[in-house]
Amino acid sequence: MGDHCEQTMRRLNTYIDRELSETEVSKVKAHLDDCPPCEQVFDFQAEMKRLVRKECCTDDAPARLRDWVRQLGTEKSKPAG
Amino acid sequence: MDQRGVGMSSDFSLFERHLDALYRSALRLTRKPEDAEDLVQETYLRAYRYRNRFKPGTNEKAWLFTIMTNVFRNRLRKRPAPEDPIDQPGTDFSIYDQMRRDGMPVHLMSPEEIIVDRGFGDEVKHALEELPVPMRMVVVLVDVEDFSYKEVASILGIKIGTVMSRLHRGRQALQKKLWEYSGRPKAPSLAVGAR
Repeated sequence: MGDHCEQTMRRLNTYIDRELSETEVSKVKAHLDDCPPCEQVFDFQAEMKRLVRKECCTDDAPARLRDWVRQLGTEKSKPAG
Repeated sequence: MDQRGVGMSSDFSLFERHLDALYRSALRLTRKPEDAEDLVQETYLRAYRYRNRFKPGTNEKAWLFTIMTNVFRNRLRKRPAPEDPIDQPGTDFSIYDQMRRDGMPVHLMSPEEIIVDRGFGDEVKHALEELPVPMRMVVVLVDVEDFSYKEVASILGIKIGTVMSRLHRGRQALQKKLWEYSGRPKAPSLAVGAR
């Protein structure tokens, strides 16, 4: 693994989490274009992040809880603390 | 102080919008539907009580998550000390590396094929719920709720560096769990590679 690979790998999380500046993003992209092994790792981890989100977004709040929250919101305003 | 905040009932609907997000995160934190519901109720009660402290125009989702994670941590009572082992470096693990070491054509497989298609359903939720709470909170906030590192740092009252290290450890621990659940994945059939 070359220096470029190591530098890029250090930005794996910040890249897939969109925490990098534009300059840094283009540096990472430039390396990934030249380096299929690194690109595969990045793709895999980005896909992993999407999978976690997809799998965990399936539970919606029960209707009674939603009704309760709505009820709370329409209560006559008491002095708020 | 004359911030009126969301004093009016119509403005409270701003908070209702995030109910599903709060509930699914509460489920990951408490692991039980009845506890999750209870945690969300307390969160909304507090949001309602302190609604005048919310600054209109700021991020109400982050505000609600700050309340909820605080209520949750108070309920746990035992707060992790700063030197909690979860912030210490451990052994690196990723499913990708593991599969490569095992000689699997991982570049021809998606995480979904490796984990979900072979599994018993809900393994991602399960794995997440097994993580230690501090890591779990960070992974949920970043990966599921899409908060920025800065927002997570503010919600949990920790440094950005701590967010990053918990996220890193949390993701590795998550993959380790998923790897254990999935057993040793078989290589994909040749047809996959031929396409």
